[in-house]
Amino acid sequence: MKGIAPLLLGIFATFAFSWVGLILIPNYQIGHLEPQVDEEGNDPYPAPKSGMANRGRQIYAANGCVYCHSQQVRGDYAASDLERARDQGPSPKPKWGERRSAPRDYLFERPVLLGKMRLGPDLANIGKSAPVEQEAAAGGSPVPSGSPSPAPASAGSPAPGGSPANPAAATAASGSPSPPAGTAASPSGSPVPTGNAAVTGAQPQSNGLPPQYSAAWHHRHLYSPRSFVLESNMPAYRFLYEKRRIGGERAADALQLGPADGVQEGWEVVPSYDARCLVAYLMSLDQSHALQELKATGAAPAPAKAGGSPAPAPKEAK
Amino acid sequence: MNPANLPLRKPPTESDVTIRDVEQVERALIDASTRLPVLFFYASAIVWLLLGTLLAGLTSFKLHAPDLLSNISFLTWGRVRPAHMNVMVYGWASMAGIGTAIWLMARLCRTTLRHPLLLICGAAFWNLGVLLGVGGILAGESTGYEWLEFPPYATVVLFVAYSLVVSWAILMFRFRRGDHIYITQWYLLGAFLWFPWVYGATQIMLFAVPLQGVMQEAVTWWYSNNLLFLWFGAIGLGTAYYMIPKVIGRPVYSYHLAAIGFWTYAFFASWTGMQRLVDGPFPAWMVTASIAATIFSIIPVATVGLNHHMTMRRYFGLLRYSPTLRFTVFGAISYTVFSLVGVLISLRSVARYLHFTQASIAYSHLGLYAFFTMVMFGSMYYIVPRLVGREWRYATLIKVHFWTSTYGIGLMTLMLFAAGLAEGGALDNASMTFVDSLNYVPMYLRGRSLSGLLLTISHFVFAFHFGLMLLGLGRTASVPTFLNPKEEEAIEAQL
Repeated sequence: MKGIAPLLLGIFATFAFSWVGLILIPNYQIGHLEPQVDEEGNDPYPAPKSGMANRGRQIYAANGCVYCHSQQVRGDYAASDLERARDQGPSPKPKWGERRSAPRDYLFERPVLLGKMRLGPDLANIGKSAPVEQEAAAGGSPVPSGSPSPAPASAGSPAPGGSPANPAAATAASGSPSPPAGTAASPSGSPVPTGNAAVTGAQPQSNGLPPQYSAAWHHRHLYSPRSFVLESNMPAYRFLYEKRRIGGERAADALQLGPADGVQEGWEVVPSYDARCLVAYLMSLDQSHALQELKATGAAPAPAKAGGSPAPAPKEAK
Repeated sequence: MNPANLPLRKPPTESDVTIRDVEQVERALIDASTRLPVLFFYASAIVWLLLGTLLAGLTSFKLHAPDLLSNISFLTWGRVRPAHMNVMVYGWASMAGIGTAIWLMARLCRTTLRHPLLLICGAAFWNLGVLLGVGGILAGESTGYEWLEFPPYATVVLFVAYSLVVSWAILMFRFRRGDHIYITQWYLLGAFLWFPWVYGATQIMLFAVPLQGVMQEAVTWWYSNNLLFLWFGAIGLGTAYYMIPKVIGRPVYSYHLAAIGFWTYAFFASWTGMQRLVDGPFPAWMVTASIAATIFSIIPVATVGLNHHMTMRRYFGLLRYSPTLRFTVFGAISYTVFSLVGVLISLRSVARYLHFTQASIAYSHLGLYAFFTMVMFGSMYYIVPRLVGREWRYATLIKVHFWTSTYGIGLMTLMLFAAGLAEGGALDNASMTFVDSLNYVPMYLRGRSLSGLLLTISHFVFAFHFGLMLLGLGRTASVPTFLNPKEEEAIEAQL
């Protein structure tokens, strides 16, 4: 090859071509989405997360949770994610998701933690899996200082909360636990429980363990993963917790631990602020809100008009 | 010191002896001028390799012994794993690649290395950048974007380091002698220019002017695939295009085939990446475009593979003697395997089972280790003796290095693919509980830890041998160290 000009030009052209094709055009298509609102302009989804949950996302990223846990549910044409129920929980067990994930679900996520590996279960809807009483208790309790409530507060709107509003979503949700009632106090439809409120507000199971996927459950699971699932290979995150001698009265937010967790009498384990943020983030993960682009025939996950090549249609459209 | 003498070559005829002597002196001068910067890059790379190996071992063992060291925040699995990846990608692979690229550039531009201080500063800043970045990850400041976990302050330092290196490369190219641009130089020039564009564009789109929502994930995958193909892939292929013909002493089989291979490679490889987002929350056409590009990348793989094969034809017997050739050819073959596996796992019907499993780890290791790292080892076995004026001390150590690496990476790939298949099939069966679907995985992960032990032996043996060379304890001899005693007649028969 003679002459440097064609070589340099070609090198630049290949880079530019791939950047335009794989980044610029997709960004034009799905990079400028807005939260979805209903006909009256209420019930925006998604809503920005609370300050604690946002900090929790950083903790999640910094400690590498994303290398084992995905946060995306694939459509039923591609995988069996939608049929899969969680291992634990009251019967019927909560599903991984009631619909597939769409770009709009991640509007306010930074970083986006979609994940590429499943050594642990998918977490896209882990907050949604929390028991109903839990949500009512957390949603109804006053938000403690230090965790600001979501920004677009259309408080007082008759938002139907987490209950699916349209028939299409309702069919997709069939077989799932009944949608939580009493979440209307939360403007986004996804309750924003915090670590504190949840620990105290939960109803324990009959065997004394915290209810599955409640905040108290998450704290104990992070502190001692194998106390729930013997085969789990999740590392314990004890460095996020403080183990201390009980001085006077047991702290209100101390973990509900069992004898197998290696904590002696007279000691208690309390979550650090980071741990409470992390759990607040987990509790905020909820993609159950119905999306317009996913309910109709052959809609692409993006609000692309018919011009683009549509994604394979969801099953109910066939 | 007789640096460029290739004893496996045909003996020169009387008439060209003087020309060859002049060429040899010229090469010796060029080699001497590259000594400090290249050795600095190599030595740093090998130190990072050892650190990365230890981190890898910890990562692997923690997967089946989750309580191991888990109470120390900076040694929790989720921090050690990205630390391992980034040490290997930016510490070992990039620094080894730059070292080799510098030497090849100087040789092929046929000019002594100017401004070595620029490069030494570049290497020092690069080390600082990686150190800051890994420290940041372990301290819990990871950004959360895969392969881009370094916190922004480390990225800035890396970028300064990189600008020093690339400005040197352009100066070098500017002062080259002769009009002809050799195949290796296409790839190296491409790598030197693609990397800063891709890296810079990605940093801007993630941190300076962050894109919205899932587009960040698209940028991350676009980056990591372009890094794999246009940075590591280009340096690795360029090196193989130099080493294979050089060691066996024949020209590349077809120049035109090489040109087709280069341009189709640049064109198709740069469009891959989105296949790793299969069925995620993205427009389906993005994923499909990348799957198509992956399939089309069979064209460059076939042309490059054919070219190497035809160059090597009737010379495969030399693999018995030359360490460089053995490592490089292993890497070149792995490149074909890596690409074909890449095509296979990108197909939607296969991705249904292998997506979200260990198979993607196997795929990255095929690319970064079986292909790139092995080619880099090969080039080091060729280049280091020419820099220090000594030959490798022990043929046995080279053999141990080669076989532990080969068996190590082979075992690792097999174990991870087996784990991926077992896990993928079970994950698709929704009636199984999640914990049950992972039942068989720890068994394979233990096998993977075993392969890690082999690789650890391999790397420490190599580092020891390299240390001997640095200390000037190599052999003083006029012939390179062969893996097996040279049987004169056999080689004559080959030629």
